[in-house]
Amino acid sequence: MGARRFAVGEYLGFAPALILYGAFFAVPLSIVVAYSFWKVRDYNVVHEWTIDNYRYFFSVPTYVRTMWATVWVAVLSTALTIAVAFPFAYWLVRHVPRRLQRTLLVLVILPFWTSYLLRVYSWLNILGPSGAINRFLQWTHVTSSPVSFFLYDRPAVVLVLVYLYFPFAALTLYASLERFDWDQFKAAMDLGARPATAMRKILLPQIRPGITTAVIFVFIPILGEYLAPQLVGGTRGIMIGNLIVNFFSGAEYTRGAAASLLIAALIVVLLVVFRRSLEIKDPYASGR
Amino acid sequence: MSIYERGITRGDLLKAGGAGALGLVAARPAFAGLARAESTTLNWLTWSDHYANDQLKAVAKSIGIQGRPTLFSDNADAYLKIKRTGSQFDIVSGDALWVPKYHKDGLTESFDLSALPVSKQLFSIARSFPFWQDGSNYMGYPFSWSTVQIYYNPKYVTTKPDSWHALLDKKYQGKISLENIPTDVMAIAARATGAKKPYSMTTAEISKAKDFLKAFKPNVLKLASQNNEVVRALADGSAWIGITNLGTDDRVKDAGGPVIKTAYPKEGTIGFIDSEQMVKASKNKAVFEKFINTTEQAPWIAQNFLTNGRPLFNEKAWKMLVNQGHGDRAKRLLYNQPQKALKMTIKGPAGNEQAYVDAFNEALGA
Repeated sequence: MGARRFAVGEYLGFAPALILYGAFFAVPLSIVVAYSFWKVRDYNVVHEWTIDNYRYFFSVPTYVRTMWATVWVAVLSTALTIAVAFPFAYWLVRHVPRRLQRTLLVLVILPFWTSYLLRVYSWLNILGPSGAINRFLQWTHVTSSPVSFFLYDRPAVVLVLVYLYFPFAALTLYASLERFDWDQFKAAMDLGARPATAMRKILLPQIRPGITTAVIFVFIPILGEYLAPQLVGGTRGIMIGNLIVNFFSGAEYTRGAAASLLIAALIVVLLVVFRRSLEIKDPYASGR
Repeated sequence: MSIYERGITRGDLLKAGGAGALGLVAARPAFAGLARAESTTLNWLTWSDHYANDQLKAVAKSIGIQGRPTLFSDNADAYLKIKRTGSQFDIVSGDALWVPKYHKDGLTESFDLSALPVSKQLFSIARSFPFWQDGSNYMGYPFSWSTVQIYYNPKYVTTKPDSWHALLDKKYQGKISLENIPTDVMAIAARATGAKKPYSMTTAEISKAKDFLKAFKPNVLKLASQNNEVVRALADGSAWIGITNLGTDDRVKDAGGPVIKTAYPKEGTIGFIDSEQMVKASKNKAVFEKFINTTEQAPWIAQNFLTNGRPLFNEKAWKMLVNQGHGDRAKRLLYNQPQKALKMTIKGPAGNEQAYVDAFNEALGA
């Protein structure tokens, strides 16, 4: 029998998804890609093909340095967020009565009810010279005048990013830990494993997809952050997003598009790497 | 099985959704007509200091025209928004030499300024800026102006910084705040390094300006997205020096901050002359003049001055301020000397915007 005839009707069900994907992802992305290969002349985007925008990005050390700084801030912030969120989610699942767990989870997402901008601004009131920390230090006579150390530098950016993305990590890890079969953990302990060993060999391999998802939810948005570094980072906390914003506000759409796509490319590479972590074939590496 | 027990199929959902969408489309003209009959909304691309919410409410109540502001910070950003969005905006605010750029590129429409009764309240010089004239018409309605100068906290800055180069002193490390507007920051660097035309620098001049900014960077606390962040940094003491508009000393004081003094750099500075322009593609051009005529009345302008503290072009508002006992403050902030607006290097589009933004990013990146 020959190859079955292609039946259009069978694939018609995909049409809404294809239209949605095409209209809201493929077409805009194609436009950004095209822009990245065009030029700007006298505030007009000129459709002359060039790779100058990419060449420019890699030829100027400032951009490469800023890109690395951004990656480091994202790595550090993600690590700290997971480090804070994991014990919280563990405590919630293991030690909090089930009826209270939902209430505490609502409290975790409570900050989302206020605007992002407001949440970042509130840190100015905590870290600033007349903020809560400085007032406390002066009240306890640890310092005699306001200390400017807390604000307008990378540590402030990392702190605020950890605060902003903590709920994403906490919710993802909670969902993962809640599904874990804790009898396996107890069995490992009964068989003589220390808690740390049981956690490393039994718990972590099985919740790896949850950890990976939390990392994706935290790391990737941080790469594109510009508002938090702008407000609390000062000139010492600049990330690549801030330079991209300057391109766009200065009408340099083509430069901005190229820089944005380079970040997108980095994200795609990372997603490919992470994708492997989402698959659990043999969590205990038993070889069978 | 009752109707409540029967599940909704995907087909039912699509049918219901389709019917709903068709109904909305069909009903739209009727609702639009109703809305138009009640009020007109003018989309206004502007800065936050060009209006007050109570002013917009009062204007809407009195003439049925609702101003709906959308904010921007950089003229280049606003210019491109108008260029790309066509009739989505009805009014756009613009700086000095940006106004003829908008007009030349066919984005705005000039109008007969004298046909607006409120224009009689303006200082005469504001009605005759040569760069805004289009035959007998005017390209924008004059609003406010200011030089951009140095403000400093005398508690920490003991020597008056009367030169841009004074700001490179290492003792001011991380203590200076200014707005993040690449073209204007480059123009300030141009004044500092002696470029002849700050907004049309040559490649060599851009290079010198970039070197100045590199030396300046360690002293910059933050590049603020809005002017009020500079005020806040000066008020809470995190910044000792701010590069900003006239009236910042009063705004810092109003915010509960310390006494701030001003210094005018000897190399000269830049400044802005703002206007409201009528967008050519707007579908509401017929009500532009009515809206401007109501929003720009002296009482609102006087209130705007007290809130934002930089001079405006409404002479009647100046007289009101004097009568209300704010004359000293207005005089100190040059309200009654609009001719000074023409003495500064006024803002405008850069001859080579790309080179300006590139140099700015290269100097101030990580």
